[in-house]
Amino acid sequence: MKKIYIGIVVSCLWLVSCKHDEWFQRESKTTITDEQLWNDPKLVTSQLANYYDRLPSLHGVFNTGGMTEIDDAMWSGTRDQNGKNDFQYGSDYGRYWDYGLIRDLNLSLESIEQFSIKLTAEQKNLFKAEMRFMRAFVYFEMVKRMGGVPLVTRQLIYDFSGDPTPLQTPRAKEHEVYDFIYSEMEAIKNDLATNNGIKTRANKYTALALESRAMLYAASIAKYNSLMAAPISTPGGEVGIPAAMATDYYNKSLTASKEIMSGPFALFNENADKGGNFYDMLNKKTGSEVIFAKDFAVGLKVHRFTYDNIVKSMTEDNEASSAISPSLSLVESFDYLDGTRGTLRDKDASGDYIAYSNPIDIFAGKDARLFGTVIYPGTTFKSSPVRLQAGVAVWNNTSYQLSTSAELGKNYTDGQTWTGFDGPKDDAVDVSNTGFYIRKMVSDAPAASTRGTSAANWWPWFRLGEIYLNAAEAAFELGRPEALGYVNSIRARAGFPANSLSALTNNIIRNERRVELAFEDHRYFDLKRWRIAHLVWDGSETDPNAVVMGLYSYRVIRPGHPDNGKYIYARVRPTRFRRARFFRMTNYYSSIAQDVLNNNPKIVRNPFQ
Amino acid sequence: MKLKFLIILTAAANLFLSGCGYDNFDAPQLTLSGRVVYQGSALSVRNNGPQLELWQDGFPLRSPITVYMQQDGSFSAKLFAGQYKLVRRADAPWLQQATDTVRVNLTANMNLDVPVTPYFTITAESFEKSGTSIIAKLVVNKVVPTANLDFVRLYLGKSILTDQVQREVRVDASLGNVVLGQQLQISSGALPDNLKNLDFVYARVGVKSTSAGEYIYSPVQKISLK
Repeated sequence: MKKIYIGIVVSCLWLVSCKHDEWFQRESKTTITDEQLWNDPKLVTSQLANYYDRLPSLHGVFNTGGMTEIDDAMWSGTRDQNGKNDFQYGSDYGRYWDYGLIRDLNLSLESIEQFSIKLTAEQKNLFKAEMRFMRAFVYFEMVKRMGGVPLVTRQLIYDFSGDPTPLQTPRAKEHEVYDFIYSEMEAIKNDLATNNGIKTRANKYTALALESRAMLYAASIAKYNSLMAAPISTPGGEVGIPAAMATDYYNKSLTASKEIMSGPFALFNENADKGGNFYDMLNKKTGSEVIFAKDFAVGLKVHRFTYDNIVKSMTEDNEASSAISPSLSLVESFDYLDGTRGTLRDKDASGDYIAYSNPIDIFAGKDARLFGTVIYPGTTFKSSPVRLQAGVAVWNNTSYQLSTSAELGKNYTDGQTWTGFDGPKDDAVDVSNTGFYIRKMVSDAPAASTRGTSAANWWPWFRLGEIYLNAAEAAFELGRPEALGYVNSIRARAGFPANSLSALTNNIIRNERRVELAFEDHRYFDLKRWRIAHLVWDGSETDPNAVVMGLYSYRVIRPGHPDNGKYIYARVRPTRFRRARFFRMTNYYSSIAQDVLNNNPKIVRNPFQ
Repeated sequence: MKLKFLIILTAAANLFLSGCGYDNFDAPQLTLSGRVVYQGSALSVRNNGPQLELWQDGFPLRSPITVYMQQDGSFSAKLFAGQYKLVRRADAPWLQQATDTVRVNLTANMNLDVPVTPYFTITAESFEKSGTSIIAKLVVNKVVPTANLDFVRLYLGKSILTDQVQREVRVDASLGNVVLGQQLQISSGALPDNLKNLDFVYARVGVKSTSAGEYIYSPVQKISLK
């Protein structure tokens, strides 16, 4: 009984003490309120950092796997990912529908308007312009993969009325999304001028670079889609841009490119060795080539592109290396400096092997960008020679017997190299399967290939080299004479003599883009917008463009013959490459996910979906 | 003590075994098989190429069941009993007919001929060896009036799976010479080294319209070279 009284007294005390409401209304130490966030420039900047980090790409931002899903390379890493060598692009390949990020940006744009009172008008305009840049960037990624998408520029809030139709936005026309990007960039570019000089945040030139690229995409879709025998379009214009709009888009792209080129940028030129210069351009963070980059820093934010892709014998870690094996077709797309096509001379007219004294000789006189992009036999990385040799070619009185050793780095019976430490080796893991390694963007910094330290070279979203090629393409399509000069400047930086070309063709411009911008997340979209992806990647097992081929080097053993001790090269189809790249009509626009269609009956399907 | 242990063990085993009934379903038992046909005869396609789709109403979430075809135009799918809608997809050598579904009421194993409208058909095809080359004769007919010819091609291969993707030789007929409804002849030219010493090769002709990425083919024919 006594206990009950005590209980009653204690609970009375509890209830009475509830009057002290302020005890419950203390400021949280773990949550930042909207008022705090949008009134502190430091907090806003860190919020923006989150959004910058989420900017999308398909094969970009050191996406080793994605880079091995097109004709520039195959996958030579762990076997469980060999699907990258054995697939056809599914109808959902490249699907991107990120309205989560769009909503976050819309919400932030509305919140900064609603809560910010302490920021200066200039600060506020800058932050808003940066968010609008990122929103346009995300819409650009969506439109180039999906076609016209719903243009949502404000928060969508459900009113719990049981009727979701006000939230269901139909798809915009494809050209409307490109027009949106253009008008947004034009509206914000001057607000962004404060950031000029910062390469990791949006500034005026970043906005212009997005404009240059997006307008070029819109123009070429308008032109080349309508040139197809059966243009890909939907009745409502969600997919397909009228041909009549092409000229206007090319003009807009060219204008934006010219404004960037007259800005504070210059083609990277700090190394007298043209090949080394092209590698340094992206590996070093100096110079004024890069317009907008995603930066990394050792100890803070790193990536493992070097761990993934460094040359086999130079890895400083104990596991996977050498995943990207560049293709022979990429290597051959680099022209010779004398202007001839880049096809390697491995056999003479009568079909006999041509023997070279040094492994590197077959690559002599190539476009210097080949050195900056690909590691091939006889070259160096981090100042040490790579040991690429597939095996020995023993003459058996009628033909060469090609022989490789079971283990890398073994010597043949004559005491000299049989198969090099770096392969290439067919059907092997973590060693090149094509005879080539990637150099571009593989960092040469100490310990960059370890997982403990990792690499910190940056990812170039936009750089001046691309702008030159955008300008060249737009000017060429418009029939302007300046197109030639832009291509020639890019080629001069690659070691070609000044004014190496006297006339342009579509094929020259397209090939320049392939070699200049290899592994920078351009090729898949370039082939798409020119509407030639289904012709280049036609799925034919006998087409050297659709199949990733390799080039294996062999040391000749033929005593008494002048070719003894020289090197010959054999074109091979790596065993691990199982299925030719096959791009079907349905891949021009990725299919829209079924749950999106289920949730919003106003969404029109893509053609061929 | 031992008895108690055994009783517990038996009870637990009973629970485990009877519990299986709740979270395991039978695999689908019924087979829907059939062919894609035009005017009663099956159409040949690329192996693993064109697809059909099955949909089922009455569930909150909809997702298609993809049905792949063999190269002779036949298909089969294991399904539960129920009402299905069969859709002829785009990017096939026939019209999409997206709104014109075929209703399938599946109660037992079923054989279904799916009628399609190909853009073009190939008739009266024949292949023969002539010296060192293979000569194909065929008639290309237009079915869909608005369709345009893109390619007429002869394929030679080492295996029975011979088509646009898997082949050793591909020869284009020049479109200027193609007269619809009349016999057309395509010669492979001299066989390449990797085929000419074989005992036999497989031959096939394919026609593609500009409206789709897929070809309509003739049946594969085995041709003896010796």
